[in-house]
Amino acid sequence: MRKGGPLFFIVGFFIFSLFGWVMFPKILFLEKTQPIDFSHVAHGEEAGLSCEDCHYFRADGSYAGIPSIDKCMECHEGGTGLEGKAAQEEEKLLEFAEEGKEIPWLIYSRQPDNVYFSHAAHVKMAEIECNTCHGDMGEREHPPIYKKNRLHPYSKQTMAMETCEACHQERGVLNDCFVCHK
Amino acid sequence: MKKETIWYLDRRDFLKFAVGAVAGIHCSPMPWWLANDIALWTQNWSWRPSPQKGPVSFINSTCKLCPGACGIKVRLVGNLPVKIEGNPLHPINQGGICPLGAAGLQFLYSPSRIKSPLKRTGERGEGIWQEISWDEAIAELVEKLRDLRTNGNSHTVACIDGQRHGTMSRLWERFLKAYGSPNHIYTPSVEDTYDFTLTLMQGEGNGVGFDLENTRYILSFGCSLIEGWGAPTRMMRAYGAWRGEKLGNRTKIVQVDNRSSITVGKSDEWIPAFPGTEGALALGIAHVIIDEELYDSNFVKNYTYGFDKFKSLVLKEYSPQVVSEKTQVPKDTIIRVAREFATTKPSIALWGRGKGSRPSGFYESMAIHSLNALVGNINRPGGVLIPKGLPLTSWPDVEMDDIGTQGYYMPRVDQSKDLRFPFVAHRLQNMAANIQEETFYPINMLLVYEANPFFSIPDNLSFIQATKKIPFIVSFSSYMDETAMQSDLILPNHTYLERWDDAFTPLGLQYPVLSITRPVIKPIFNTQHTGDIILSVARELGGPVARSLQWHSFKDVLKQNTQGLFHYGKGIVPEAEPKEPWKGLSKESPSLPFASSDEMWNRMVEKGCWYDPAYSFGKWNRIFTTPTKKFEFFVTKLTTLLPKARDEVFLPHYEPITLEGDYPLLLMTYELITLVNDGIGNPPFMTKILDDTLLKKNDVFVEINPKTAKQYGLGEGDYAEIQSIKGKVRVRVHLFEGAMPGIVNIPLGLGHTAYDEYLKGKGVNPNEIISVVKEPVSDLALGWGTGIKLVKV
Repeated sequence: MRKGGPLFFIVGFFIFSLFGWVMFPKILFLEKTQPIDFSHVAHGEEAGLSCEDCHYFRADGSYAGIPSIDKCMECHEGGTGLEGKAAQEEEKLLEFAEEGKEIPWLIYSRQPDNVYFSHAAHVKMAEIECNTCHGDMGEREHPPIYKKNRLHPYSKQTMAMETCEACHQERGVLNDCFVCHK
Repeated sequence: MKKETIWYLDRRDFLKFAVGAVAGIHCSPMPWWLANDIALWTQNWSWRPSPQKGPVSFINSTCKLCPGACGIKVRLVGNLPVKIEGNPLHPINQGGICPLGAAGLQFLYSPSRIKSPLKRTGERGEGIWQEISWDEAIAELVEKLRDLRTNGNSHTVACIDGQRHGTMSRLWERFLKAYGSPNHIYTPSVEDTYDFTLTLMQGEGNGVGFDLENTRYILSFGCSLIEGWGAPTRMMRAYGAWRGEKLGNRTKIVQVDNRSSITVGKSDEWIPAFPGTEGALALGIAHVIIDEELYDSNFVKNYTYGFDKFKSLVLKEYSPQVVSEKTQVPKDTIIRVAREFATTKPSIALWGRGKGSRPSGFYESMAIHSLNALVGNINRPGGVLIPKGLPLTSWPDVEMDDIGTQGYYMPRVDQSKDLRFPFVAHRLQNMAANIQEETFYPINMLLVYEANPFFSIPDNLSFIQATKKIPFIVSFSSYMDETAMQSDLILPNHTYLERWDDAFTPLGLQYPVLSITRPVIKPIFNTQHTGDIILSVARELGGPVARSLQWHSFKDVLKQNTQGLFHYGKGIVPEAEPKEPWKGLSKESPSLPFASSDEMWNRMVEKGCWYDPAYSFGKWNRIFTTPTKKFEFFVTKLTTLLPKARDEVFLPHYEPITLEGDYPLLLMTYELITLVNDGIGNPPFMTKILDDTLLKKNDVFVEINPKTAKQYGLGEGDYAEIQSIKGKVRVRVHLFEGAMPGIVNIPLGLGHTAYDEYLKGKGVNPNEIISVVKEPVSDLALGWGTGIKLVKV
């Protein structure tokens, strides 16, 4: 063996694997904050709303997802007399409502347009809990940082195809193309 | 001497480092994430389809893309319409939809939509426009209209209207009457043929119904029964009903046609008769029925006039042998079909070529309708009916001042309803000829509503030439079509998905239907409802015109119509899917359950329509209103017009059609359900499904019988030039056994010079080389075929 031995291999391996693990995710994702610092705790535990009050299935079986601003204004119309930081956040909401705009929420789990994802099939038929995919959103006081991928319009949390396939396989659901790509 | 070892990176070390780097990267998540991201990166492409998200809802409305008046059910996601389906509550289509109706959304987003009012700044047809505001546009129109009216030239304003069955046409008529112009002219249609045939033989021609669902034998003279004739989706439903019956009880369809169309393929028997001889064939069939005494003697005796004269003419001139020579139909076939037609009850004879965008011959129609009288199948189940009129609110009389009266009672520029031939109501071709030859008064302003005559009428180039003499042309088109291209001012209308509108009973339906069209989306461009423009122009003009049109908006006009229906008190605003409404013809209709006309209006808007399937059979004085109060084989109305003519002129007879020039071949146009050939452009979805034996890249194919093609040395796919007296077009040849020898078939609807990249320049427009033939007595312009030469190029 000549001088150096496996040293250069190890150095190369170490630097690049460190880059891949530490630097790359920092470069790849753009960190964004939600337009409003929304607290699920304040709405759930404190205001006494249930999850289904805002995140519900429509009569035709489709899922409403994040509620429209009209839903927010059912309670917040004219303000609710909040104080401090919460009042500032409510002010932002009222401004959106006044301009007639929807709140531009950043949706962590938004699936690409080429995938047909049905909440009814997953939640109602397969009885998968919400937090299996979405984490414990309901217990958060602040929304998590949204990590937008610089290469495309989706976030870090957007499920990749292998995740879908693995779960389908585990549960004995078909993995044919047409199941998701309609 | 000991060599000093200096540390340096040699090639081997570098390779070790690189291999380590590659291995290191692969032990991190980076390459695996990037592999996934490549798939998601494709979602940046702007042209990928992106489904709308939001709650799904449905709105019922009515299709206005053809006169069929089908109910549609528009699927919306959020506020965006995403799909058009058939409205299952609507009695005409009962949830069915045709390819055009299903492609309707493509009209909304068509690249040829006109996005704001435009004023021409370049030469006509050059396509140089200036965007102007609605106030400016309406002011310009009002100023020109006011000038013409003040100078006593109100009659020199003409309006071409492509939608005859709706409140918009009533409004145009009323506006023009108050303004002082008689020139409200519809685009040509087979409906003109039905109107005059019924006017002459039965007394009145305001609509005809064919009880096709209840009939057992159909003798169709060239009607494309399931390819767009009548109300297209109703006909497809009817076809399903016929074929749904048990074997032995099925309705027999006999199709007389010069080419093997889809309708021919779906019928029980095809009789290829030489085009133009259909009347002779009908008379040959009449000959057999009369000769063998198979006719309904009771009906003929009690309800017809002039049978003896008809009988002697038919027996003398139209023996199967003679007719066979004229029509190329074997003698035995004529005899057999005549026997079947007379002995199968009920049976019906239909006329009107293709989809019916062209009028049929005058005597041809009379000859065919005579067959219905011979077998006594008028005003009987399964026969020819006269549907009740729509009980709409009647409007107060138009207020007429001196200028208005003087203008309105001038003769029409298309010479319709004049003394020479008062029974054909709309003759657009005459208008062009009169303007061109300056034999009549000039036309100073042309208004074009929901029509594209510069493309769609036969011999359209002569028509465009004539309109060069019109100083001011206004188009209300939503799309940059051929007519809009040649106009001076464009006031774009909303599309049918953005506006309030309605549709009356379509051609051929047995019972009255009023269908409501409502906006399903807010107007996406700066367009305005033409109805509202008429009302605001009337307000600006002031005086009697304003007082005759006092509605605030066109929606109010529609809403007021409902009052008439409400007071009529009967009929159905559907709550549930109609169960075969044609089976309830002889039943009494239910009373309306509404407390007010407003309540009824709201329900009609929600459900889409009102209809009244009850039909009173009998009541012959309603059906026959001729001077003799009978069905007239011998037309007495004509005798006063032509006192010196021989008897034959007043009877159905056969007159050969003489084509201009000496040409060896006959060019026949044909219509397809997948190709629009009237007021609108074919949507890309439909153009895409045309066979490549019909349209390949930009070449259109004509159908030629292999025998004929051989004579001209033509093979499949060869290029050829068609030459007629009017001009020439370049086509490709498709050899087709279903084409009669000596005939070249060409589709209508291609060859646009306007619209967008999906339509412009595809194929050729046969209208450009068609020479219009005028029938001697009716003065009716026939434009379904023309003599041609074929040259291989």
